[in-house]
Amino acid sequence: MADYKKTIGIEIHTELKTKTKIFSNSVNGYGKTANSNVNVVDLGYPGTLPTLNVEVIRLALKAALILNCEINKEMHFDRKNYFYPDNPKNYQITQAETPIGVNGYVEIEVNGEKKKVRIHDIHIEEDTCKSIHYKHHSFLDFNRAGVPLVEIVTEADMHSSEEAMAYVEKLRELFLYADISDCKIEEGSMRCDVNISVSKTDELGTRAEIKNIGSISNVGRAIEKEALRQIDLLEKGEEVAFATYRYDEKSDQTIIMRVKEAGNDYRYFPEPDIPFVVIDDEFIEEVRSSIPMLASERREKYVEAGISLLNANKIIQNRSLSNYLNKFLDGGINLVVASNILLGDISAYLNKTGLDIENTKLTDDKFRDVVNKLNSGDINSKVFKDILDDLMEKDSSVDEIIASKGIKIISDPEELKKIVNDVLSSNESSVNDYKNGNTRAIKFLMGQIMKETKGSANPELVNKLLEEELNK
Amino acid sequence: MKDKLTREEVLHVARLARINLTDEEIEKYQVQLKKLLDDVDKIKEVDLASDEELITPIDEETVLREDEAGEMLDPEEIMKNVPVSNGNFVEVPVMINE
Repeated sequence: MADYKKTIGIEIHTELKTKTKIFSNSVNGYGKTANSNVNVVDLGYPGTLPTLNVEVIRLALKAALILNCEINKEMHFDRKNYFYPDNPKNYQITQAETPIGVNGYVEIEVNGEKKKVRIHDIHIEEDTCKSIHYKHHSFLDFNRAGVPLVEIVTEADMHSSEEAMAYVEKLRELFLYADISDCKIEEGSMRCDVNISVSKTDELGTRAEIKNIGSISNVGRAIEKEALRQIDLLEKGEEVAFATYRYDEKSDQTIIMRVKEAGNDYRYFPEPDIPFVVIDDEFIEEVRSSIPMLASERREKYVEAGISLLNANKIIQNRSLSNYLNKFLDGGINLVVASNILLGDISAYLNKTGLDIENTKLTDDKFRDVVNKLNSGDINSKVFKDILDDLMEKDSSVDEIIASKGIKIISDPEELKKIVNDVLSSNESSVNDYKNGNTRAIKFLMGQIMKETKGSANPELVNKLLEEELNK
Repeated sequence: MKDKLTREEVLHVARLARINLTDEEIEKYQVQLKKLLDDVDKIKEVDLASDEELITPIDEETVLREDEAGEMLDPEEIMKNVPVSNGNFVEVPVMINE
């Protein structure tokens, strides 16, 4: 039904990449053993008090700045009260009244059209423990209890599943690049709740909340399914219930979890155990200057340097390759050649060995040298393949590696001219093909010359000589 | 001004606290909870010298903690204080009904 308009708002919880938890100094990390990264604060033992981790404020502030938010320089925490086994204190410490950032926006692009999604607020809170459900009982693992989170709440600004997916993808990319979070949706370090309603008029319909969607593509699927369900109800003259659902991937359906409790049932009040947190301008500027070049800026710079959008995106997906390439952005090498070998043979090598490029012997100087040699034709891609392992594993220079392999690059025009003429005279039919207008014959002749020289000829020079000789 | 809460109001609060009440208790709490709310209303009447928000009796700002790991508990020790455990997990009655 095309005449129904979808209206979508998204809440995303993201775990912050700190060493310790938000209110205790136990380790932030899913240990292999359940309940091993836990102390008395995380378990809510009587008499324990929260101590706020400075790194949480730093990362949350970084996130708020990236989301173009106004910063609350004086903030406090609030208690959200509810009884549930995942929460041993019977309240969650969160920010209800003074979120660290408000009134921000994120720019997304769908089908070539740019659009701003407004951010209502970004606030800091603690994660609950992880519950694993079985038929007759549930198991609790408090390793996750007290892991720092930020929750980012948008305005209901999105109107299609494509926009919603673009927003989640954009947020993930931003946080990943700024080193705020791992953003692993599948593992739960980033979790999406989608609010969706449909309406034929400007008045919004009753919304449903779909909790904890496990992947970006499922965000799209869940929205489409839930919209259809709501339209179907409205067409039958029934009402949409204000309720919480989850998306079941197997059945491709949204399944009701509970009818929503009203917000004031959480009986929020200020957390008396944590006095005001005051952020000064100096701290804000320190955090602002720690924000690295973000993905969108990297993309722009790569495309400007002549790298295809496809390849630019591929590099951006691998932050360590992108950081490596960025060291050469100031010029001095051909970035297209550089990106081609990074995505091609070097990526293949890194995948094969499981290494990170920073842990190889490919120094900046060697990389610059080998890219320049490829660019000038001093070596070709076959030679590059042959020396790659040594480039990555040995301290020797590019020239030393080439020499040690007994590889000789023929760049002497006289020597090459002789080989070219030999090949031409023994392949008369191809020469005639070329002269009769079959320009592809030149590729065959090129191949013959490479075969003759065992791939050691400078390809650009061969091409030039071939054309000269054939057009004589 | 009514002199007690409605039955529904008491049941709502009881549900939020996840407790069951007998009819007798409901009637008792209709009166007692109303009395508590009246006392809070009385506090609200105080004319405060400033409207500055007070969240804690301490004037100072929060002291932030450096992000350095400290000691943690041994899972075995934790389980000694847990009513029902299963290996290293805390076991509770089933939380989700489907």
